[in-house]
Amino acid sequence: MKTLLIAIFLTLAPVFAAQAQQDSRIQMSGLDHLAAKASQTIDVNIDERLMRLASRVFDDKDEDEREVKKLVANLKGVYVKSFEFETAGQYAAADIEPVRAQLRGPGWTRLVNVTSKKDGILEVYLLFNGDVVGGMAVLHTDDKELTVVNIVGPVDVDKLAKLEGQLGIPDLGLGSPKNKTKNDDEK
Amino acid sequence: MKAIATWILVIAMIFTTVNAAPAKGDDFNSVVKMIEQFYRVKHVGIPFLAKAGMKVATTAARIKGGQARRIAEAGSIKLAVFEDQDFNGDFTKFRASLNEALNATWMPLIQTLSAQDEEQVYIFLKDAGDKVNVLVITIEQRDATVVQVTLSPKNLALLLKDPEGTGKSITQEATINDQE
Repeated sequence: MKTLLIAIFLTLAPVFAAQAQQDSRIQMSGLDHLAAKASQTIDVNIDERLMRLASRVFDDKDEDEREVKKLVANLKGVYVKSFEFETAGQYAAADIEPVRAQLRGPGWTRLVNVTSKKDGILEVYLLFNGDVVGGMAVLHTDDKELTVVNIVGPVDVDKLAKLEGQLGIPDLGLGSPKNKTKNDDEK
Repeated sequence: MKAIATWILVIAMIFTTVNAAPAKGDDFNSVVKMIEQFYRVKHVGIPFLAKAGMKVATTAARIKGGQARRIAEAGSIKLAVFEDQDFNGDFTKFRASLNEALNATWMPLIQTLSAQDEEQVYIFLKDAGDKVNVLVITIEQRDATVVQVTLSPKNLALLLKDPEGTGKSITQEATINDQE
């Protein structure tokens, strides 16, 4: 019987381990239907295999690449979906709700919420596994734009801005507004 | 007890089958055929391009490891060009079919769709030991290209830093005529 239990454990352990690593992965496929309405769609998928590849190819001798290499070393994935629309009102709150519902789940905390008439709404969510940041999601919504960035794995929040413009992550201004938590139009 | 052992065997076989999905031999040709079937178009081979004196100079140079080589490794290029044909069709359906076909062996890096310009760009990667195979598919209103190249780690770093820009550079370099 003991052998049988060990056999069951050995068979199923990799499956459960894989699921545990995916905790901070946000399912974004529910947004795919917006591609038909969008004037521009960008879909970036850097999974764990690509992450391993990325950490291998960045050059230690180059200062910028060294920084990026350190940042991506322990990451499990970077996923981006971005939609630009010709006119306002092409997507509704209900379209983003499946993503928001996941970010209301256990462990997720909204760290940043910036509302600007000019730049729309920028929200940054972190997933805490105890005291450790296990993942991150950035939601940028505007009248004519919707971007979701999901970084899976331990994230160094202080250095996060260095990843902007790298690995397909758009420049979201994460470096500047990180301390803001209120509506900046109210100030 | 025997039934439980059978179940374990079945589960183990399922996971073994999933992990050992057979790699497709020539995905480049499959993608070219897929574009031809989906959009009802025909690609132009390199010999034809050479006769027409178009686009082939750099490609040929690169295939021989000539001076024009910049991003791709020498001898690594596969190229299919579709010229002056209609690419009308539901790009969301095409994207789904493409991803389904390549999912087992290639990793999707970036996919951009521009409804305004009717342009689709897909970049897939595949590990090739110390190098990486890159498949770039670009479909525009009237033209399309499929390029497969092998990249060195240095150029892969460029691609990962700026997937969209470097992907376009790969296609441009594969099709530009340096003599123009």
